[in-house]
Amino acid sequence: MINLKEWINKGRLKSPWVVHFDCGSCNGCDIEILACLTPVHDVERFGIINVGNPKHADVLLVSGTVNHRNKIALKNIYDQMAEPKAVIAIGACGLSGGVFHDCYNVVGGVNKVIPVDVYVPGCPPRPEAIIDGVVVALEQIKIKLGLAEAPAVHAVHME
Amino acid sequence: MLDFLLGLCILFPIAAGGTIFFAKDKSLQKNIVVLTGGVLAAASLLLITYVPTQTTPDSGLASFLHVPIIVCDFLLLAVIFVIGLRRMSTAVMALAGLQLAGMVMLKFFWHGEAATPLPVFTVDSLAIVMVLVISILGSAIAYYADSYMREHEAHLGLSQSRRNRFFAIILVFLGAMNALSLADDLSWMFFFWEITTLCSYLLIEHDGTTEAKTNALNALVINMLGGAAFMFALLFLQRTTGTLSLTALMHIKMAGELKTAMLMIPMVALCIAGFTKSAQIPFQSWLCGAMVAPTPVSALLHSSTMVKAGVYLILRLAPLYEGTTISSMVAVCGSFTFFAAAALAAGQSNGKRILAYSTISNLGLIIACAGINTTASIAAGIMLLVFHAISKGLLFLCVGSIEQKIGSRDIEDMRGLFAVMPRTALITCFAILTMMLPPFGMLLAKWMALESAIDARAAMPAIVAMLALGSGLTVLFWARWAGIMLGSATTKLVVAKEKQDPDMALVLRGLAYTAGIVSLLAPIVYMGLALPAAGSSTTAAGHVNPTAIYAIYPIYFLVAVGFRYAWKEAQKAEDMAPSLPYMSGIQAEQNGEVGFIGPMKTFVPAQSGNYYLESFFGESRLTKPVNLVGLVLLVMLLGGVLQ
Amino acid sequence: MMILGKLLLGVIGLALATFIGGFISGLDRKITARMQSRFGPPLAQPFYDVLKLWGKAPMAVNAWLVLCAYLTLMASALSVFLFFAQSDLLLIFFVMTIGAVFQVMGALSVNSPFSHVGAQRELLQMFTYEPLIILVIIGIAMHTGSFSIASIYALDTPLLYSMPFLYVALGIAFTIKLRKSPFDISASHHGHQEIVRGVLTEYTGRQLAMLEVAHWLDVVLLLGLCSLFWSTSAIGLFLLLAVTYFAELFVDNVSARLTWGWMIKRALGPGVALAMVNLLWLYAIK
Repeated sequence: MINLKEWINKGRLKSPWVVHFDCGSCNGCDIEILACLTPVHDVERFGIINVGNPKHADVLLVSGTVNHRNKIALKNIYDQMAEPKAVIAIGACGLSGGVFHDCYNVVGGVNKVIPVDVYVPGCPPRPEAIIDGVVVALEQIKIKLGLAEAPAVHAVHME
Repeated sequence: MLDFLLGLCILFPIAAGGTIFFAKDKSLQKNIVVLTGGVLAAASLLLITYVPTQTTPDSGLASFLHVPIIVCDFLLLAVIFVIGLRRMSTAVMALAGLQLAGMVMLKFFWHGEAATPLPVFTVDSLAIVMVLVISILGSAIAYYADSYMREHEAHLGLSQSRRNRFFAIILVFLGAMNALSLADDLSWMFFFWEITTLCSYLLIEHDGTTEAKTNALNALVINMLGGAAFMFALLFLQRTTGTLSLTALMHIKMAGELKTAMLMIPMVALCIAGFTKSAQIPFQSWLCGAMVAPTPVSALLHSSTMVKAGVYLILRLAPLYEGTTISSMVAVCGSFTFFAAAALAAGQSNGKRILAYSTISNLGLIIACAGINTTASIAAGIMLLVFHAISKGLLFLCVGSIEQKIGSRDIEDMRGLFAVMPRTALITCFAILTMMLPPFGMLLAKWMALESAIDARAAMPAIVAMLALGSGLTVLFWARWAGIMLGSATTKLVVAKEKQDPDMALVLRGLAYTAGIVSLLAPIVYMGLALPAAGSSTTAAGHVNPTAIYAIYPIYFLVAVGFRYAWKEAQKAEDMAPSLPYMSGIQAEQNGEVGFIGPMKTFVPAQSGNYYLESFFGESRLTKPVNLVGLVLLVMLLGGVLQ
Repeated sequence: MMILGKLLLGVIGLALATFIGGFISGLDRKITARMQSRFGPPLAQPFYDVLKLWGKAPMAVNAWLVLCAYLTLMASALSVFLFFAQSDLLLIFFVMTIGAVFQVMGALSVNSPFSHVGAQRELLQMFTYEPLIILVIIGIAMHTGSFSIASIYALDTPLLYSMPFLYVALGIAFTIKLRKSPFDISASHHGHQEIVRGVLTEYTGRQLAMLEVAHWLDVVLLLGLCSLFWSTSAIGLFLLLAVTYFAELFVDNVSARLTWGWMIKRALGPGVALAMVNLLWLYAIK
């Protein structure tokens, strides 16, 4: 059955289904995320599908600042994803709260509520950066599965 | 010995009914019911060894019953007339009056002596199928009714128990039904036919509410209408052929002595009588109204046995109208009812009404089988009769148990029933699956019916189209009911013990096993009972392939293995991470209920309902057009005589 | 001996059907992508998806979902097996409904609004395609005089010549069963967002993988039904299937999802009418 396990791991890396959660974004990042699905970028090439349901997803894309109201929803959605899974915080707000970081209602970045694997900076980031973020997340999953060594630093650089 | 067994099947329950009426003690009543049930079941099983035989005309039983039946016949019609008088129903009075007049004509003026004396009872495969269903299933339902009525009366808060009346009628009914099935003489059949009408009336109005009384009267009127058609057929047959014996009529048909039209006029009248009894469209209203009766009554009279008398008569007469336009029209009427009643069922949320409409629908299918009139189709019809009786009787009893526990018969209230009454929910679910999925008997019978439909003599495309549409609708309304009952939020697949009346639980479980086991024995039922019963009655063989049915065994085996494996895997769900349903990230749980976090962080339980598609299948929308079409088809059936 | 041969044929057919079904699904996604001027995923993508889903950590709302997923797959497999073993057409169809019914029952057993909406819609889809398929099967039986598949292979002219309208009706049923637009009402295949895949919402991981495989098998079974219409030559059969599936994809890509009411009125009505015209025709020449 070792073979099956290898095959499954291959499947895991070839079919990252993403679920996108808008955690109070201004929609700038959201538009860029959806741009990935368009024929120009066509993420389905990598087996990426944008699903609407965390129960079917492998990667959680979060855009926007987390506030006290929606942190429950964020946590719930994360909890409903089955392992192995990865989280990508997208855009300045998702990373740290961005320009809203000191608002009275804001908790801060996504990593205040759930563990984040990959940070994709930008306001908004380009679709290429987001796609790259998913690819890096797959590297993270590889590390989690014990298929690769953990590198010292992993982040997507702004162009 | 034969006389003795027939006596046990017919007279014993009637006598027991008379006794129980005067028995005030509850445990005594129960003992009488159990004893009668046991005797009936044993006698009916022993009776199988006598297939096929007929009683000799001068047998003890026949000569013993001859005079009492004539007297009781008049008495019965007089009682119905009095009921009409007391309820101030001119329709009932008129119909009872007509039948009385007919009876006088028949017994005193047109009374002809047959050249050769004819048998009174026929014990053939078809009759034995009915007797087995009535005696075994009927006894089980009566036993269930004992506990049910105790609870029912406690719920109603009656000052004086009416159980003795209830059980007296039930037991008399069982005897009458057996006699009806075994009778060879149509005038005898007519007598028992009217007894069942009266029993049905008395049981529908048993609770004495205004609604019960209105619906009972409606049932009486429609059934008396059928009775009048029956009486007309008797008079006509007596006048033209000089005999009322089915055996003699069969000889006349075979010899071709009589002009077809002369025989077809009474056949149409008898078919209409069968339609009223089986609540075929446009006569369906009485059966839906009859659902006010206590649930064991619905199970016994209004699904498993009494309504089967109508289809039984039509199946029994099938060889007499074989190959005529009438036969084709009967098939069209039946398949239309199958389709239309299934559509009406799809628009219902009231559990008992769903069952009522689905009963009408399935009876329509049996009638369609009779109309198609080949050996294969009639065998399919008999299979349907058996399996429908078991599964539908069981379903009614399940709804009865559920209603006593949750206080509602609406399927919307049965959401998540598995958490409240796990065993009953599972049995109900199983019963529903036996109604619609392979490898269970109902589906096998429906499969045979569909395959035999391509041999229909006329109007075949119309018949198969309605059968196909009706079949799709059947799955629609059964599957959603079964699905919502299973609702649960736990990963444990443990069927918890359920506090249940032991007698009722015994009957439910017993019938569930029966449904499964008889399905397993379907090929034997088919070869041993259905095919001989059909083969003896028609000449057109049609699409019959007796060995094909054994192909079902590998499928049984594979399904059983698959189910076992799936069940084992499902038990492992316990070790899986539990998860709440997806509610866009704001799901919450409170006291085992699943819902949303609403405004002000309050808990809002998630609610959803079935689609009942009122714009398509609503009762208020469909009833009128459906009745109209039914009426037109009836007129066409009448017109079939002219051909 | 003949029975053993048929059983063997059934087993081989089932094994092949699983692979062919997966590749058809991959081809489907590839061609769809090309129609949308995208590059599209690799051909083996459906296998990657299923393998990945199989490897997800087990999670369940309740045990019924697990039971129903297994039973759905089992029923689909059994129906494909029976098809290749050349059994009775109606029986194959009824076995297929076992799977459809259990899938819906599983979805209904969870108190989730999305799942319930999907299940109710799926039931309506079943109600729409079932009569059409039954009528097609009855048409075949009228023409060949038997319900067994073997009798179709005995014909010397393709069925399509004598039942073209029934083939169109089968096409409608095919689109609905496959949940292709405009009939992806119960599971909203495109975009995956609206009603979050409806009837499939609560199935996760392995259960979803099993339903996916069951879906492949259903596709193969329906293509098998279509293939009966040109049973006389391998090339004709292949061309017929290719054209049919391409037409499905084309319709899928050019149409939007419509409502169940529209489906019943505009798909069931004309579908039954087409089937009836063809049946009357067969009936008249019989």
